[in-house]
Amino acid sequence: MLVQLLVTGLALGSMYGLVALGYHITWVTSRTMNFAQGTAVMAGAVVAYGCHVGLGWPLLPSLAVTLAALAAYGIAIERIAVYPFFRTASPAWLLSTIACGIIAENTAMLLFGKDARAFPSALTQQPILVGGAGFYPQELLIPVVGLCLVAGVQYFYHRTSYGKQLKAVAWNAEAASLMGIHIPRAVMAAYALSAVLAAVAGVLLAPILNVAATMGTIIGLKAFAVAIIGGLESAPGIIVAGLAYGLVESLVAGYLSTGAREIVGFALVILVLIIRPWGLLGSRPTRRV
Amino acid sequence: MRYVCSLLLACAVALSLSAASPAPAASPLKIGLAAAVSGGSAASGEAIKRGIQIAIDEINAKGGLLGGRKLELVIRDDEGNPAKGVTIARELVEREKVAAVFGGLHTTVALAQVPVWHELKTPYMGAWAAGTNIAQNGKKPNYVFRVSANDDYADRYLTRYALDTLKKTKPGLLLENTAWGQSNEVGLLKWLAERKVKHVGIEKFNWNDPDMSPQLLRLKNAGADVVIMVANAPEGAQVVKSRAKIGWAVPMVAHWGISGGRFAELTGDLSDGVAFLQTYSFFGKQNERGQALLKALKDKYGVKGPEDIIAPVGTANAYDGMHLIALAVAQAGSADGAKVRDALESLQAPYAGLIKTYKPPFTADQHDALTDDDYIMVVWKGGKIVPVATK
Repeated sequence: MLVQLLVTGLALGSMYGLVALGYHITWVTSRTMNFAQGTAVMAGAVVAYGCHVGLGWPLLPSLAVTLAALAAYGIAIERIAVYPFFRTASPAWLLSTIACGIIAENTAMLLFGKDARAFPSALTQQPILVGGAGFYPQELLIPVVGLCLVAGVQYFYHRTSYGKQLKAVAWNAEAASLMGIHIPRAVMAAYALSAVLAAVAGVLLAPILNVAATMGTIIGLKAFAVAIIGGLESAPGIIVAGLAYGLVESLVAGYLSTGAREIVGFALVILVLIIRPWGLLGSRPTRRV
Repeated sequence: MRYVCSLLLACAVALSLSAASPAPAASPLKIGLAAAVSGGSAASGEAIKRGIQIAIDEINAKGGLLGGRKLELVIRDDEGNPAKGVTIARELVEREKVAAVFGGLHTTVALAQVPVWHELKTPYMGAWAAGTNIAQNGKKPNYVFRVSANDDYADRYLTRYALDTLKKTKPGLLLENTAWGQSNEVGLLKWLAERKVKHVGIEKFNWNDPDMSPQLLRLKNAGADVVIMVANAPEGAQVVKSRAKIGWAVPMVAHWGISGGRFAELTGDLSDGVAFLQTYSFFGKQNERGQALLKALKDKYGVKGPEDIIAPVGTANAYDGMHLIALAVAQAGSADGAKVRDALESLQAPYAGLIKTYKPPFTADQHDALTDDDYIMVVWKGGKIVPVATK
């Protein structure tokens, strides 16, 4: 029982972490984020479904089209819902990104329908049984891909010149701009990357969760909680928080009851907010007086 | 005001009667359908529509009713919303002047509409929603009739199947965390108690839950030897996937919710052996009406075969329901709501229908034409629905 719950929890948790990373990426660049990040998860799954199942394309071209489409989606969100307010330092992007998400979700309902559809994957055909526990290979793929992407994002921000530029924008936009960094382009790039990560999560999840127009909402919300718990500034913190959140959910559902799962999960969020408002692995912000 | 209205109406009737020109008998006789024809349950509304329409075509081909009046179907969308359901119920009766109304999938909508049918004295024919107290609503006279399942009977049927046919003694219950799950929890506990069988656990899940293995593991650890499930297609599919994942080959017996969506597509081979309740199956040998219905579905809607029929119970229930209403109108010699209602309760000729021979379908105390004697148990096999022997 325990092994089963751990495997399930890790798979769910790494997916929360992956989506939460999308919040982190735009936050460190622009101090804004797409509150409808969950919609990007759904959009990724729906576009992949459309290419792979609807049009019958092989998996790899479908993935390529999906990632490109979601990069464009991220840029569109940034242009429409963030950029106009970013310029005037207005917090209206909070609402406008949510509005965009609702529009995207309802568009998906119109085009894709409200039914859940199956996304075939070779990795969910046969569960692997180990002792008393079982899991689908796909559930192992999610943590692996998740950790690789985190490592990639970390490398990008700390070791590559363009990554450092993106971070510089967040620290001091004016100075960065004076150093020749094109700020609007940097923010657009961050949004594109953020949506692509969500799309990866969506495609990985599709065979397990099925594809539905409403699949992203609750994932996006929990991922946001994870991003806050882990610390918006800290990518490793977010992944740790994601895994922890997935494990807590799974263990509570297994040993207490499914009804208690959300109660315990979100109660922990509040607890962390009170004790460590800067997140588990985030650093305490220094205030200049 | 009402007095003036009825006076005007009386004058109008008198005038139309005295007029020698085209007999009013030639005007179409309208039948309403108030169901979800958009959204996630649209398949059920479409299935019901097909059943009614095919029956209407058959009746019209034989010259219609009441001396040549052709039947005509008027459809309104309840969007699964009880408030909308009440609005369209009134619109169908007051503006469209329908003689009777068919209902759709949602128990919540059907319950909200019950007072409207009684106020407007219009017979209602339930074709899907199984909530026990829709038909057993305590009204006298009762305007609600149903050719469909009833949760209470369904729960008794599922209990019997698990205990007698499968010979299991430790049922675990797995229910969706909604009013529908709740209504079945009541029913299942009642019938298990009657058989003096103790369940080993009641587990619930929410819509869109990604993983059901914790619930299944708890039932497994509690020693369940059969799982009785009340779920719709998406969640039912997750249950079956999780069951395969934890490697638990427990027999599953399900209410019919899993047949209202794309359960077979979502589960693939994993659904093999999952048994569930239906009122009718288009697979296997068909009676005369079944053959005619399959042909009509093919000609009119391009349905290739039984495996291609979406939400089959909706079509079957509505088809028999429409013929029963037609018989009642003929017996009453009138499309007046109160008279048709009385006739439905006292239909004299037995009706050899699709699902069974109704003799009689309804009585003053029994407004469910189908009981658990008429339900069938079917099982998924390679994505197809195969009837199983239950007796």
